[in-house]
Parts: sequence; structure tokens; C-alpha cells
Amino acid sequence: MLEGAELYFNVDHGYLEGLVRGCKASLLTQQDYINLVQCETLEDLKIHLQTTDYGNFLANQTNPLTVSKIDTEMRKRLCGEFEYFRNHSLEPLSTFLTYMTCSYMIDNVILLMNGALQKKSVKEILGKCHPLGRFTEMEAVNIAETPSDLFNAILVETPLAPFFQDCMSENALDELNIELLRNKLYKSYLETFYKFCKNHGDVTAEVMCPILEFEADRRAFIITLNSFGTELSKEDRETLYPTFGKLYPEGLRLLAQAEDFDQMKSIVDHYVVYKPLFEAVGGSGGKTLEDVFYEREVQMNVLAFNRQFHYGVFYAYVKLKEQEMRNIVWIAECISQRHRTKINSYIPIL
Amino acid sequence: MGSLFRSETMCLAQLFLQSGTAYECLSALGEKGLVQFRDLNQNVSSFQRKFVGEVKRCEELERILVYLVQEINRADISLPEGEASPPAPPLKQVLEMQEQLQKLEVELREVTKNKEKLRKNLLELIEYTHMLRVTKTFVKRNVEFEPTYEEFPSLENDSLLDYSCMQRLGAKLGFVSGLINQGKVEAFEKMLWRACKGYTIVSYAELDESLEDPETGEVIKWYVFLISFWGEQIGHKVKKICDCYHCHVYPYPNTAEERREIQEGLNTRIQDLYTVLHKTEDYLRQVLCKAAESVYSRVIQVKKMKAIYHMLNMCSFDVTNKCLIAEVWCPEADLQDLRRALEEGSRESGATIPSFMNIIPTKETPPTRIRTNKFTEGFQNIVDAYGVGSYREVNPALFTIITFPFLFAVMFGDFGHGFVMFLFALLLVLNENHPRLNQSQEIMRMFFNGRYILLLMGLFSVYTGLIYNDCFSKSVNLFGSKWNVSAMYSSSHTPTEHNKMVLWNDSVVRHNRVLQLDPNIPGVFRGPYPLGIDPIWNLATNRLTFLNSFKMKMSVILGIIHMTFGVILGIFNHLHFKKKFNIYLVSIPELLFILCIFGYLIFMIFYKWLVFSAETSRVAPSILIEFINMFLFPASKTNGLYTGQEHVQRVLLVVTALSVPVLFLGKPLFLLWLHNGRSCFGVNRRGYTLVRKDSEEEVSLLRNQDVEEGNTQMEDGCPEVTCEEFNFGEILMTQVIHSIEYCLGCISNTASYLRLWALSLAHAQLSDVLWAMLLRVGLRVDTTYGALLLLPVIALFVVLTIFILLIMEGLSAFLHAIRLHWVEFQNKFYVGAGTKFVPFSFSLLSSKFSKDDSVA
Repeated sequence: MLEGAELYFNVDHGYLEGLVRGCKASLLTQQDYINLVQCETLEDLKIHLQTTDYGNFLANQTNPLTVSKIDTEMRKRLCGEFEYFRNHSLEPLSTFLTYMTCSYMIDNVILLMNGALQKKSVKEILGKCHPLGRFTEMEAVNIAETPSDLFNAILVETPLAPFFQDCMSENALDELNIELLRNKLYKSYLETFYKFCKNHGDVTAEVMCPILEFEADRRAFIITLNSFGTELSKEDRETLYPTFGKLYPEGLRLLAQAEDFDQMKSIVDHYVVYKPLFEAVGGSGGKTLEDVFYEREVQMNVLAFNRQFHYGVFYAYVKLKEQEMRNIVWIAECISQRHRTKINSYIPIL
Repeated sequence: MGSLFRSETMCLAQLFLQSGTAYECLSALGEKGLVQFRDLNQNVSSFQRKFVGEVKRCEELERILVYLVQEINRADISLPEGEASPPAPPLKQVLEMQEQLQKLEVELREVTKNKEKLRKNLLELIEYTHMLRVTKTFVKRNVEFEPTYEEFPSLENDSLLDYSCMQRLGAKLGFVSGLINQGKVEAFEKMLWRACKGYTIVSYAELDESLEDPETGEVIKWYVFLISFWGEQIGHKVKKICDCYHCHVYPYPNTAEERREIQEGLNTRIQDLYTVLHKTEDYLRQVLCKAAESVYSRVIQVKKMKAIYHMLNMCSFDVTNKCLIAEVWCPEADLQDLRRALEEGSRESGATIPSFMNIIPTKETPPTRIRTNKFTEGFQNIVDAYGVGSYREVNPALFTIITFPFLFAVMFGDFGHGFVMFLFALLLVLNENHPRLNQSQEIMRMFFNGRYILLLMGLFSVYTGLIYNDCFSKSVNLFGSKWNVSAMYSSSHTPTEHNKMVLWNDSVVRHNRVLQLDPNIPGVFRGPYPLGIDPIWNLATNRLTFLNSFKMKMSVILGIIHMTFGVILGIFNHLHFKKKFNIYLVSIPELLFILCIFGYLIFMIFYKWLVFSAETSRVAPSILIEFINMFLFPASKTNGLYTGQEHVQRVLLVVTALSVPVLFLGKPLFLLWLHNGRSCFGVNRRGYTLVRKDSEEEVSLLRNQDVEEGNTQMEDGCPEVTCEEFNFGEILMTQVIHSIEYCLGCISNTASYLRLWALSLAHAQLSDVLWAMLLRVGLRVDTTYGALLLLPVIALFVVLTIFILLIMEGLSAFLHAIRLHWVEFQNKFYVGAGTKFVPFSFSLLSSKFSKDDSVA
């Protein structure tokens, strides 16, 4: 990027940035959450959501209302907004937005392959796919038998293609291999995205890099945590870690050797950023590691809005909106299952 | 007009609605639109209110109705709009209505579902026949050209060989055929190639007709394709890929005979389907037609019902839960109507205990209600755009009706342009009931809403145009000019007079380019022109200098009168709000300040106009210098306008200087003195407190009464408002800021009124330029082409006149007139801190509906 990008950022992206900031302002407030938690039935929830920016997005749903209906409608709304951003974006923002969809595409591909493995019908699984990660070739995923097959036949023309370099293999796709494939794809994806943001420079790099670094570290932790007690070897484990972030390279090497949660915790003690997160686990309110990570993510995303003239706001907005949707779904689930004791453990968006 | 001068007196009334009759009472109130409801359940979130269930039911009904309207529109059946708006449905009918609608919806959904299914079926069959027809040519071509396929003989042979080999091995040559969306063909082919590694042969052809996409209903182009492949494995893959690209796959007949049979079968089935489909459609149409008759009134009824429940949600229940208590703001003039409406509602529901109302005293500021009609509405909107007036404040809209068009016209002054504008506005006014104008959009709507403003603006422009004597930048000689040019000639005077005066003779006229008329010569100037500017000025080269002097003085005079009027209106406010001290301590110093400086300026202008004539014009002093000298007390004495001028000016200055400290400190000190209990006047004290005690007792008595009647929420609103903290520093600061603003404002605002001059000058010059550059050029061309050229020139002149002079200049003059009102006039007295009275009225509701409906 040239110097002084602030001067002409608005020429290309000013409209969209304004729009996304407006959208961010319409996220549910603390007061909204307090009201939502008080709802007795899903109908109440719907009525309250009508008073917020969601409007009557559920108006055309026939009774009875279910959580999954709410979820699909919310996703559709987010997808509509995102499509609007994407259709009105110019380079390099449109590439940035494409990168954002890649993670959802990876998830969808993996979901479809898992479904094919369990002999479920494509239609059924398609319903579960995230609409942000939709692409035409998606439905043909289940004809592939090996990762290279998958690449050659189906994904070669999609934005996912470059991420396949590391995982071309002729192994049959069983459950473990699919999981490995997902992690490798994710690793490659995050690294490419990180490089893109770094090369872009400017405020975008300053905002996005920490967020992506956190994302990479989070993945590393979660891979480590999930690999305890599985047949995954330590060397294999290390290959799955994204090679950047705060933990890279020392922490990752140590993590690869870790054998249980306590060892992980002792490694984390060296990192000022993550130490308080791990300490918060299981503390007041019985938070899980996932919740703590989500909270941290929300914090970082909210901070992204403090800077101007960068693309990070788009990323942050989508992530915040996703978190909000997760919150609403959580609350809705608690209401519909009459399981009110845990209803307050949503992640507040500050 | 009294109602426009101040907003109406309001009172806070409590309605005790018996729970059985509440709905009917509100329905009656809504029809009349008399009262504004206060939300008594502000702390209760929307889904915890009492009538949520009913609101939900209304929403359900609305959803069904929206669906009905959608279906009716899709079937192209016109929706008859009822003239009168039906009243909200009685509660007994609601259930019935709901049942009816739900039944209708179920029926409709079923029929449309069937219809869709049939259509889809039919479409599939049609696609199948198309496919068969097209693929037949593929095969025929293959058969025909196979022997002569010389280009790739080896390949052909290979494949034939392969085929036979495969058959021998038990593998089957398979075909998949179907239709694919035009846009996906390329990707589809690529994918097939990649996935099957080339072990397939794809042939396709574009379909001539466009067919509907069964999923989206779009009419698009399709391709027919035929894939031939070997082996089961690849077959599966191909089928999956077909699924992925949403191809419509149909079984491929292997032999020609089979093909013919299928085709025949298809044809008969298509015939059958057509007849069934027609019948279904007819039936659907019947159902929809029946529904369309009542759907409009139903929609309005449901809207009304929903509005009633929303209002009921704002009411609170009393202790015994037997009646609802609503608090409403109601104009005192409408109380009688309110009572009647309540009675009506009670009677209608046949309740034994009538609903009743009770006026409660309050210290809260009521909303501002100003009744307008279609004429005053536009002017009121101009004022409201600045700020809705505080309760019972002097409403500037009343004066705006005249001053606004007048100030506009001063800037827009042109007889012709004004007349065009007047005609346009008149057209709008005369056709105001035309439905197309009522529903017009955006810009046209803006003009339509301001039609009466435009009308007056046009009229006033005609008037000022006459005064300026400007008609499309030309002067009109209506009464004959009062200047006589021939009197300047030497022949018309006796020789004795020749010596004193500079007269014209032939050589003077012939050799001078510019000649000056001298009003001192008898007979040249024969008195003033009866109306406005003498048309002879149109010919004069010093016309601009003359007009500038006139217009500048006029703007200052108008401005100061306008502002002084604003300050005087402030006195009415103080009188009404019983703050007499404000008159002595604020308004009068303000008046003195402006009149002693600028009032005196006006006096000087008029004095100079009246006293000095053409003969004495040489000795007339400059007003500007005199005015500056007034402040400077110069050593060297000028002639002055009149004797004793110096003393008068000194006195005026002293008065001005004295009024400033009064303005700054008077009000805060007085308030401080009041606050300290008028410590200097011990005598008054007893009487004052006594009176206050009395009134307090009265209020508390009233409140007790309310409590007895079961009213509990009175307490939380009132007591907070009553006690006002006294903060001397704050009062002093506001007053100082106000005073500084006023004193400086007097000067800058006066200067601001000069925009009247500037804009009228700009307008006159622009129209002059347009005339000189365009029409005069057109008129000067000689007679042969002249007539031909004149037509486009006139057309251009008209277009430019309308767009630049009327619309653009008009808009700018409009904006400046608004500014002069908002900033220069209204800041002298108008607070504009009120809230608008929004009555609960169905008429506001149904107008909103019709807009929604047109969108849907």
C-alpha cells in the first residue's frame, strides 16, 4: 500500500465502512439481552426481537416457532448483509471478504464429507451448511474418495484450492483423515489470510494481525486439547499448528509435547496474554475454555471498531454478529428446553 | 386565528375504563382522535404487557392478510378499495373473523400447493418432451455420421471396440440425459471432465424456447444434454454431479420405439394436466375474487384493532382489577367530545357501569397542540421544523403566513416569475382533491404539500415585482413615465431660463453617448410614479446604483421592523407566563437597545428621504458617516441632518449603554432577591407564604381524593417536577450568554437582512443576463431566418427561466427566507422546546396503510 491510505480509503470503501459501522450499532445491547433472558416462550422472544433491529424477520414463519427456524432466519439475514457488502466491494476488499468466507467453506466441505461417510442424504446436510460458505461445487463433494480426488475434481476452481498444497494425499477419507484435512486446510487458510493482511499493511494489518494471531493460537490450543488420548502422534500434531501467532515457534513446540491439560496450563503460564484466560476457566460460573476464548474474541473484535480506514471492521462485524446469533440461539434453546439455570451464560457483547 | 396564536390549553385526564368496555371506548376515541395516551407501563418490556396475546392475534391476522393480498396481486385481481373506513370490529366478531380468515388461508394454501405441484408436473413433462425431441437429433446424427466420421477414425473405432468389449465384460453403456440451466453449462462440463477423467461423452444443444425454472419461477434458457458413459462407477459420479448442478434428469429411451411410446404417453398426459390445471386455476380465482371483496376493509379493521390493543397496553389496572386506568392529554376544548365518546363506547358495549373520566392537576408540561387547516399546515410545518413550540408559547406560524412569503418575494421580486409561480400553485390548489396528486412521490409531494405557501409566495412576488417594476427583467410602463425627456431640450424653455440650466441641443445629443436628465429643470420630473419604480430607470445606465441604494435601505428597514416585532412578541410570552419582571428586565432593555441604535438609523433614512429633494441633494450628508460619527463623537463638526442632532444622539447612546448592564444583571439579581425571600420587604412575607400554603393544601387534597379512588401511580410522576433548584451561577451564565448573543446579534442580524438586497439583486441580474444573452440575440436576427430561429430560442428561454430562475433561484430565496425566520426572527422570542401532540387517531393509521398497500 502507498503512504497515506487514509486519504483515499473512503473513495473505494467509505460507503461500505459506514454501512458496516451502522450495522454494528444495531447489535443487541445489554438491555436487550436482559429482556430476552426474561422471555417465557419463543413467542415472547420473537416479540422482543421485533423491537430490535431484527424487525419482523420471523413474521412469515408459520407456527410453531422452533430454535432452528430462528437460527436459519438469522443466518439468512447475516448472509444477505454480507452479500450486499460483497457485491458492492472493490479490490482488495473483495479479496478480503472472499478470505472471510473461506473458513465457512472449509467447514461446509468437511461437514458434507462427514455426512457422506455416514451415508446421510446431501439435502439434509445442505440445510446445516453455513450459507456464507456456499458454493456451487459443494454438493458434489461426496463423490471424492481421497483428498487429491477432492482437489482435482471439485475444489480446483474454488478459492479453497491454494490451501490444498499440504494435504494432497491418497489416503481414503475416514473420520480421522477428514479431521486432519480440516485442520490442515485451516492452517493453510489462516496462514494465507495472515500473509494477505500483513502484505496489505496499514491499519488493516495492525488490526487484523492480532485477531488472526489469536485465532491461530486458539486453534493450536484446541487441537492440542482434542488430541489428548487419540492416536494422533505428536509429530503429526505439530504439523497441524498454524505457523504464526504469539505461540509460534517456541510455544507450539512445547504444546506439541504436552500430554494433559495441566501441562498445557504450565506452558501457557509463560504467555501474559493467555495466562488470565486459562485462569478464568472453571472459575466463577463454571466457564469453559471455549467460553473464555469467545469472550476474548469478542473483546478484540469490538476493539477493531476503534480504528478507522481498515477492513478489519468487516471481519469483526461478521464475527460479532455470529456471536450474537450464538447467544440468541443459546437463550432460545434454554427457553425451549426449560433449562433456565444456565440461561445467563451467553457471551455479552460490550 | 386565536388557536394559531398559542397552542391549546391541555389537561391531563384520567380515564376509568370498565374492563368490559375498554375496547369499545378506545375504538370510539380512535375514530375521533382526541387524546394522546401516556405510557403508564414504561418499565414493562413489550412482551410482558397485559394485552400481548391480543396483539399477537392481530399480528397473526395481519400475516394471513398479507398473504392474501400477495396471492390476489399475483392473480392480477384488482383490490377494490372501500371509500369509508370501517370501524374496529366488535370483540364478538373477531373470533369469527379469525376463523374465517384461517379457513380461507388453509384452503388457499392447499389449492396453491396443488396448483404448484400440477404446474411443476406439467413443466417436467414439457421438459421431457423437449429433451426427447432434441436428443433424437443427437442420436440420429450419430447414426448418420458415424461411418463418415473420418477426422477421428481411431477414436471412433476405439470407442466402438470399447463398447463391444465392455458389453462382453458385462458393463453397460449408459446414458444420462436432461436439462441444465444455461449459465451452468460450462462449469458442468468442466466438472464432468475432471471428475470422470474424460470417460464420458457429453453432447448438448440449446433449447429454442425459454422455460420456467420450477424453483425460482424465472423464465430462462435451458440446454439439453446427453452424457454417455461406461460403467456403473462413473454412472454414479455423473448422477451426483447432475444433482449438484440441479440438472433435471430424465430417463433416456434406448430404442426408437420406446422413445415413440414415451412421447405419445407424454402428449396425452400433458393434455390431461392442462385441463386439470385450468380447472384448479379457475377455482383458485373464484376463491381469490371472493376474498378480494372484503380484504381491504379487513386489513383496516385489523390495523385498528391492533392500535387499540397497543393503547390498552399503555394503561394500568387498578387495585381491584375491575377497570383500566388510562392517562391522556386532552385539549380542554375537546373535553366535551371526550365525555361523549366514552359514553358512546359504554353504550355500545352495553355495560352497566359507564366509563368515566377525571381531570387531574399536574405540574408536567403538556404536549403542544396547534390546530391547523390545509392552509396553515404548511406554515406551521416550517416553524415546527425548527422546533415544536413550548406549551402555550406564542406561535410564530401565525405571522409567518404573511412575513414568509413577503420576505421571499422581496428576494424573488419579479412580476412575471411570480405570476408563473402563482399559476402553478393555483393549479395545485384547484386540483388538490385529485388522487394522483395526493399520492405523488418525493419532489412533487413536496410542492403539493407547500402549495398554499407557493400560492402566497407567487402573489407577493407579483406585488414586489410591481414595486421593482420588473417583469422578466423588463420594466412595464403602466401609468406612463413621469420623467419628460423633451423638457431637457432648449427649445422648450424660455431664453431667460437657459442661462441657469444645462440644456440639450442637437449637437449635445449627437455627440454624447450618455446623457443625464436633470430633475431640477422644470417639466423634466413631474412627480413620483404612482406605483413602484419609474419604468424610465430601465433605460438608465445608473439604474443599478439607484436600485442598490433603494434595496439596501429597504432591507435594513424591513429587517429591523421584523426583529423589533420579534422582541415585542417576547413581551406577550412573558405576560402569558406571568413573568412580568422579564418585561422590565429583559424585553424593555432589549427594545431600547435595538431602537436606540437601529431604530434611529431608520429614522435617519426616512428623514433624509423626506427632507432632502433634488435641489438640495448636493448638501445632503451621508447617513453612513453620520451613523459612524454618532459613536465616535468627532471633533470636527459636520453639518448634520438637523439641528440638535448631537444632543439627541448623545441621549440615545446613553440609553443604549444603560440598557446593557440591565440586560446582563437585571434578571439574575432579581431572581436572587426573590429566592432570598425578598428580605428587604418583611411586610410582604407573611401574606406570600400564606397564599402558597393554601394552594399547596388544595393540591394535596386533590391528590388524596385520587388515592381514595384507587389511583396509585400519581405519586411517582408529580413530586419530582415541583421542586426546582435555585442555582444563581447558572442563571447568571444563561442570562449573560443570552445578552451577549442578543447585543452582538442585533448588529450581525441586521447585516444578515442585507441578504434581501443581495438576492433580489442576483435575481434581477440573472434574469437580465438571460434576456440579454438569449432572447435579445434571437430577436435581433434579421427577418428571413429570424422567425425560424426564434422558436428554439424562445423554447430555450422558457426552459432556462423555469429551471434556473424559478426553481433554482426560488429554492435559494426560499432557503434564505427560512433562515431569516428561524435565526433572525424566532431567536428573539421563540423557545421551541415542546413536544408535539400526537393523538390516538385512526385517521393517521389508515393513511399509513394505503401507502403500505401500494408498495405491496
